[in-house]
Order: sequence, then C-alpha cells, then structure tokens
Amino acid sequence: MATASTYAPVGFDFSNQVRNQFLQEKGLPLPKATSTGTTIVGCLFKDGIVLGADTRATEGPIVADKNCEKIHYLTDSIRCCGAGTAADTEFTTALISSNMALHELSTGRKPRVVTAMTMLKQMLFRYQGQVGAALVLGGVDATGPHLFTIAPHGSTDKLPYVTMGSGSLAAMAVFESGWKAGMTREEALSLVTDAICAGIFNDLGSGSNVDACVITAGHTDMLRNFVRPNERVAKEQRYLFRRGTTAWKKESVRDLIVSEEVRPIGGAGAEAMDTS
Amino acid sequence: MNPMNTAAQPQQRQFNPYTENGGTILAIAGVDFSVIAGDTRQSEGYNIQTRYAPKVFRLTDRAVLAVNGFAADGNMFVKKVKQRLEWYRHAHAKDMPLHAIARLIQTMLYGRRFFPYYVYNILGGIEDDGSGAVYSFDPVGSYERETCRAAGAAQSLVQPFLDNQIYFKNQQPAPGTAHPAHLPLPHVLSLVIDSFTGATERHIEVGDGLEIYVVLAKGRDLSGLEGFAGLQEVSSRSDGERIFVIRRELKKD
Amino acid sequence: MFLTRSEYDRGVNTFSPEGRLFQVEYAIEAIKLGSTTVGVRTPEGVVLGVEKRVQSPLLESSSIEKIMEIDTHLGCAMSGLTADARTMIDHARVTAQNHAFTYNERIKIESATQAVCDLALRFGESVHDEEAMMSRPFGVALLIAGIDELGPQLFHTDPSGTFMKYEAKAIGSGSEAAQSELQDKWHKQMTLREAQVLTLRVLKQVMEEKLDHHNVQLAQVVPGKGFEILDEVKLKELVDEM
Repeated sequence: MATASTYAPVGFDFSNQVRNQFLQEKGLPLPKATSTGTTIVGCLFKDGIVLGADTRATEGPIVADKNCEKIHYLTDSIRCCGAGTAADTEFTTALISSNMALHELSTGRKPRVVTAMTMLKQMLFRYQGQVGAALVLGGVDATGPHLFTIAPHGSTDKLPYVTMGSGSLAAMAVFESGWKAGMTREEALSLVTDAICAGIFNDLGSGSNVDACVITAGHTDMLRNFVRPNERVAKEQRYLFRRGTTAWKKESVRDLIVSEEVRPIGGAGAEAMDTS
Repeated sequence: MNPMNTAAQPQQRQFNPYTENGGTILAIAGVDFSVIAGDTRQSEGYNIQTRYAPKVFRLTDRAVLAVNGFAADGNMFVKKVKQRLEWYRHAHAKDMPLHAIARLIQTMLYGRRFFPYYVYNILGGIEDDGSGAVYSFDPVGSYERETCRAAGAAQSLVQPFLDNQIYFKNQQPAPGTAHPAHLPLPHVLSLVIDSFTGATERHIEVGDGLEIYVVLAKGRDLSGLEGFAGLQEVSSRSDGERIFVIRRELKKD
Repeated sequence: MFLTRSEYDRGVNTFSPEGRLFQVEYAIEAIKLGSTTVGVRTPEGVVLGVEKRVQSPLLESSSIEKIMEIDTHLGCAMSGLTADARTMIDHARVTAQNHAFTYNERIKIESATQAVCDLALRFGESVHDEEAMMSRPFGVALLIAGIDELGPQLFHTDPSGTFMKYEAKAIGSGSEAAQSELQDKWHKQMTLREAQVLTLRVLKQVMEEKLDHHNVQLAQVVPGKGFEILDEVKLKELVDEM
C-alpha cells in the first residue's frame, strides 16, 4: 500500500460527473436506474406504527420486479420504506442500519427513531438531492411511536399519517378520508392496506402486492405480501419447445470420461511384491 | 447549465400538441379470418385517464381498425375514416373493399405529412378473395400487408413473441415437416390472450380490459368461436362476412 | 321556330315558363348534327364504333379522334362538338386516376360516368366571387364503355347531365335509323365478334360514304386486355368479313 494515494476520500466518487454531463449534452443518455415508482405509507395507531408498501419496481414503463421489498430493516423496532431510485433507498437504509447497529453497541441502548431520522436527513442533505431516496421512517422506541417522512434533499416531516412516492396522492386520499386518532391495530392495518391498494390500482408506478409492517413496543410484525390482489391468470397455452428446435452450426462431442489402460510391467513369473 | 445564467440566455418556449396515451394493439390474419385486438386502458404518465377507452373499431362488416398512440388523434382519425367510408358507399353503392380502405388510410395519413396524426394504425379484415388480411401503418402512411403485427406501448414485448409463435422465427421445424403459414382460430385467440396478459404483467401502461374483434370470411362456420366466454356478434348481416367481439378483463394494477 | 322562343333561350340558368332550359335543349340538338356513334354491350365485352366524316381527300383520316381511353378498363366514344368532349374526358381521366390513387382499385363505370355528368352541369354564372367555370352546356354526347366488378357496361350521357345504361345505343346524325336497327338485331347472348360486325353494319347503313377501314373507328373493352382501339389491320379484316 506504499504507492496508494495518501488521500483516499470516503463515500461517493464524483470524478466522472463532468464527463457524464458532457456526454449527456452530446446526446448520450445516462443509463436508466431502477426506480421504485412507488406507493409507501405509514400510519400511527393506538399502540404503534403501521408501515405499508406496494411491491412493483419499474424501469421506465417496464415492470422490472413484480414482487420487490420496499420496507427495509433499520433496527428491530425501526423500519424504513423507500421510494425513488432503488439503489439509493437500498444503500442508504443499509448504511444507516449498520450505523444504527454500531450506535446501539457503543451506547448500549436501544436506538431511537429520531436518531435514524437525523442520520438519514444528514446524509441526504449532504448529497444535495443527488441521492434519490424518498423515505417513510417509522418505529417505536423508549419515547414512544414515531413516524417521519424524509425527502431526497433532506427535509423531514413528523406526522400521524404519511405517504410517499408516485402513488402518494392516491394513498393520502384514503388516509384523509379514513384516518382517525387512536385506531386499533386491525383498523390501522386495514387502512394502510386500503391506502396501498389505492396506489396499486390508480398509480401506474405502483402495483402487485401489499407489504405491511406493524411495529409495537417490544414486537415487530413484518407482513410480507399481506394482500395479493394481483395474481397472474393462468396462461391459455403452454410454451414448450420440441427438442431440436434451436438450429446449430456445428456439433462436437467431447468424451468426458478419461479412459485408462492398465499395463502390468514385469513378467508373469516375477516375484510378487512383499506386502506383508 | 448554471441556473444563475438562465436569465441571460435566449429561451425558447414550445407548445407540444401531442401526448402518448399508452396501450397496445395487435392483429393476426388467418386463412379465412382475421383477429384484431387492443387493451382498453388510456393513460398519461402514471395516471389512468380511463379504464375503458376502446382502441379497436368496426369500420364495415369486413374491416376493423385498431388505433394506438395519441388518443385524441386516434379518435379523430377513426371518425374521418368512417366518414370517408360513408361517402364512398353513397358514391359507389358498395362497401369499400379492405385493400381500398388500406390505401385510403395511407392517403389520409400522408395528407398530414407535416402535422401527422400521432397514431399507429393496424387494419384487419377480409379481402375480396375471402382471405384474412392485416395491414399495418406508420403515422405518415407507409403501409404493408402482413400476417401479424403488434403496435403501441408493449410492441417491443409482444412482437418478438408473435414472430416466434406465428412466423416460427428461431424455430427449426421437426425433420420432414414444415411450419404452417396460417394458424387455426382457437390457437390464434389463445396467442392473443397470452400476449395481452403477458404485456399486462410487464408493462405498466397495458391492462384493465381486452377487446378482441374476430372477422370471419363469408360462409365460414363459427368453429373456434362457439362457447367462447364474453362473445358478442356485431355484424350488420348474417349472410356476408361476420364480426364478433370478445371482451375480457385484464389486471388493473 | 327560334323566333317563338322569346327571351328565355338566352340564359343558361333561366327556366322558361313551361319549365324548359332552352340552351340545354339546343345543346342536345347539336348532337344530332354530329357523326353517328354506336355502342353495343355483350356478355364478352363492349364495342364502340364511330363514323369518321372525311370531308376532303386532303384530310388525314387518322387525325380524327372520336374514341378515347379514360382508363385501362374504360373508354368512350363521342358525337357532337368533339372539342367539348376533351374537357369531359380529361375530367373522367383525372377522376379515374384519383380513384386508383386513393383506393387502389379501378373506378366503377357508373362512378366515372357520374363524375362526367356532374361536370356537365357546371355551366352557368358564378356563385359569390367564384369565376364562372363554363359559359354554356357541353354540345357533346358520350357513350362510355367499360368493365368493372359488375361486368361489361355501356352508358350514354347527354348535355343535360343525365346518364342512362344501355345494352346498345346509337347517337349522332344517323341515330334514329341506327337505334331501330340495333333494337332489331341486338340479342342478349351476342358474341363480341357479332357485336363488332353489328356495329359496322349499323354504321354502314347510316353513312353516306361507302364504309371502309379509313372512315370508321372501332374500339372494344374486354375482360383481360381492357380498353383497346382496333388498329386498321383488324378493322379491315372486320370490314371484309361484313
């Protein structure tokens, strides 16, 4: 390592930024990132927080993943839903998750939701919106249940019910008409499901299934594919291909069995080896 | 560009009269039938404008037109084609033949060469000789008779599937056999349905509903159609070519 | 005779109190001065024949053009002011080409005839600021012959813009005699050859000169070859046969 630069900056490398911008001006489009053009929501209820997300990931108008996970683990009692550039939400939450674990170890206490929120917003602000993560952060800590949204530039909101992503308007419409203070777990879960379904069916960026996560003091339920309202219908036909369908240019068969011939050396009258 | 400099730069403003309203259409010709289908979703960006906006239209008893692209242009274009067909009927005392409709659509599209209808057309139906036919057009009127064609948002998903399943591209026939030039109606219908359910799975702008028009040549029996769920006849007479619609649901997410 | 027709025979768009348009009637009269023209329809095709009046031995008879092609499947023969026919045939040709361009199919014989008749009525004074297209009715009648999906057909048009379908029709100076001859001799299952001979015989009867291959012209429309003006060799053969 003696020849390595003495200055190795940590974090993102922006050295190709100028080149890429130049190429873009010349008409070379940047590679399209997978986007979770998404519906994510969070909702406060009597005993904690319910988070919800759809499971569609898109690349432009194409569905890249029909059943992706958008509710990310931060700590046992704190989860974070991500909308925006898939890589950014995944990387950011994973990074903060690690830092939360370290924080927990160094303090010896259960980390608080505000801590995660502060770490996230500081990171996003530092990157001036270049890290395209729009987050819904929820969890329960020693101070009670907390629910935040974090926008890509780093601004945050603390509210009893929140939505994010391209389906946020559809979902918020459900919350605005159905949310009330002090709901039970079942009421909250049902409302969150309805909100996500509104996004799934009315926003083209969202689709497939409902993921939900119920966080209460001391217990977290990750309800993966809580509702599956979009099962694929059976195909009319089976698409199997006859052996020999694909054309080939040449055929060469290699014998993978190594054949071996054992030839005894020495005459038949040779004395047998003394193996005793 | 530096945002501080924008005020100093000359700025051009432009009105764009076109939008893209998603959806997909396709058509497949058989020996003595033609199938023309389209989904019914109309969208703009991430919004669904309506879950039922037909893109496939009956023109005559032997011609069906599918229109995809900018919905406003598409609807207006179909209206004008229908008007021309009516005029033709009055002037020449007969329904316009399919190949004549194809040429008419070319002249109408090319007439707007420098302010085009932002639409991709696929015309399907029965020719005067009783054969099933599909004509596909680009927005300014280049056209071609084909056996099958997909257009619209999921063209890039559906056309390769059709190439493989209808033209048997990249498929070697079994020794001593040859691929058929035309497929039977039930097979074609199952390919159409699978094309749309498949496109619905992987393209966000395709879904909600499916309308399949089936045009049968004069005197052809209904084999391959009877007992089909959601079948409805829309022909004006039963002794000539006959047209049927099959309406199906597609996923709505 | 003309003196009795008072003021109403001046304007092309003024009816007389009896409900007549004199200028149109005069135009129809003009046709009766023209050379005799005959058309005969058979299941095998349509035959057109015209008399060419070669008034002077110095006149090049081949320069008299009274049968013209409109499209490959349709043509026409004329009688009356043949110069007027050029305008009408030009219009028919353009209409036929436009139809083929727009619809990729041959125009129907009746549609082409209708187009010609629409033009025949466009005389009169201008409406609003438009310039008057034509000052008087056409002084020519046409026999339009052709084959379309409805089979071989023969139409007659006159200066009033009226058209009618005929099995056999004669127009021009000898039309009365010729028409009654056609009525006697035409039958439903006529062959094309018979129609050609009949056409020549009818012309021969009404012509003052002796009929030969210089002073008549024959054309036919048949399914495969379409419209065709018979050349002098074929014509001579037919004249000899007759």
